[in-house]
Amino acid sequence: MSIRLLALIPVAAAISLALSAAVDAVALPLFLDTTGTILATALAGPGVGIATGVVTSAVNTLRNPTFWPFVVVQIIVALYAWAAARAGLFRSFRTAVPAGLGLGVIASVTSTPISYLVFGCTTTGGIALTTALGKALGLSPLGACFFGSFVSDFGDKAVTFALVTSVLHALPRRTAARFPWALRAIGAA
Amino acid sequence: MTGRRLHPFTLLAIAGALPALAWILPAPAGGACTVAVALVLTLTPGASPGLVVFRTALLTAAPFWVFLRLLHDVPTTIAIGLRITTMVASFVWLAATLAPDRLVEATVARGWSVTAAYLFAATITAVPTLRGRARRIVEAQRCRGLSPRGSLGNRLRALRALALPLVLSALHDVDERALALETRGMVSGARRTPLAPPADSAVERAARWALLAACVAALIWRLK
Repeated sequence: MSIRLLALIPVAAAISLALSAAVDAVALPLFLDTTGTILATALAGPGVGIATGVVTSAVNTLRNPTFWPFVVVQIIVALYAWAAARAGLFRSFRTAVPAGLGLGVIASVTSTPISYLVFGCTTTGGIALTTALGKALGLSPLGACFFGSFVSDFGDKAVTFALVTSVLHALPRRTAARFPWALRAIGAA
Repeated sequence: MTGRRLHPFTLLAIAGALPALAWILPAPAGGACTVAVALVLTLTPGASPGLVVFRTALLTAAPFWVFLRLLHDVPTTIAIGLRITTMVASFVWLAATLAPDRLVEATVARGWSVTAAYLFAATITAVPTLRGRARRIVEAQRCRGLSPRGSLGNRLRALRALALPLVLSALHDVDERALALETRGMVSGARRTPLAPPADSAVERAARWALLAACVAALIWRLK
């Protein structure tokens, strides 16, 4: 791995963890905690993306220990983002947003068993409340857990994909060309 | 011995073993024992002045109990709540006692790849820097008249205006960091010399193996 790609990993992981300040300012129910993983994958491929996801989870664990078991979701996000980058789905919002919605479904399917078996669906306040809503709607415990994860992940991943698309298109071509996958991800190579 | 004096690998072993045992041992007795140990650790002198770590652990764990009670009956709430509290208290204690630079030195001294330790330590130090930058961007955009409230579309546009400068400026830092790493001879496979390796006594090494053995034994006992 080149030094530039090695230097990209902590920066991308820190992006995921620092974006909460921007999310707080606009008061939207979003996490954007996979932004760095998706961006690193779109720029430098699956190895760098997976490493970014694992580092993001490890550092986030020191703030909230319930994040660690969800490292599996970060790895799946990186693999999905790699497939999206290979297909050039970051070339416009019209392709990126549906791809993000697809990731939302996959991420919620992956996180539901972890959330249900390990934490009884109480990982964060927002998810616990939407799970309680699902329970009130008459869903089974596992169904309510999926409902909670789905509501939080579906929009979040679509916004994350849109944001990464914006970043990739805003990068100067000379800077983008320094990363092996950036131009292919936006359909320019 | 205070937490800060323990070898970084011992700290990681304790913080990993306690939650593992909390999940393996039968509830609620197993969880009650592990949570007691974890909370005593947060009271260890040297972790932080006063009861800061203990209080942080309790305040972090408290919302989980509320949400668990909202979703489950009392026995399930107690069983899962004790496990989550063990996990929270262990990691809050770890975050208060584990110095990233000592972890890097420990991995270098052991001859492991410095890359993993660098990634962990560099991320921990980069997060506060980027958070500070994010706050400055939010203030600057507000001064320029950006309104982060209103309709969903308005908020999403505001989010883009706040997030894009942060991410782009962070990506421009990559070149600077790469240059700094190259200057310091950070190439893969290079053997580095630790400056001040943390002391790793035979007692601590034995304790780490004992913790691993305890987890494996508990798992075998539970699976029987």
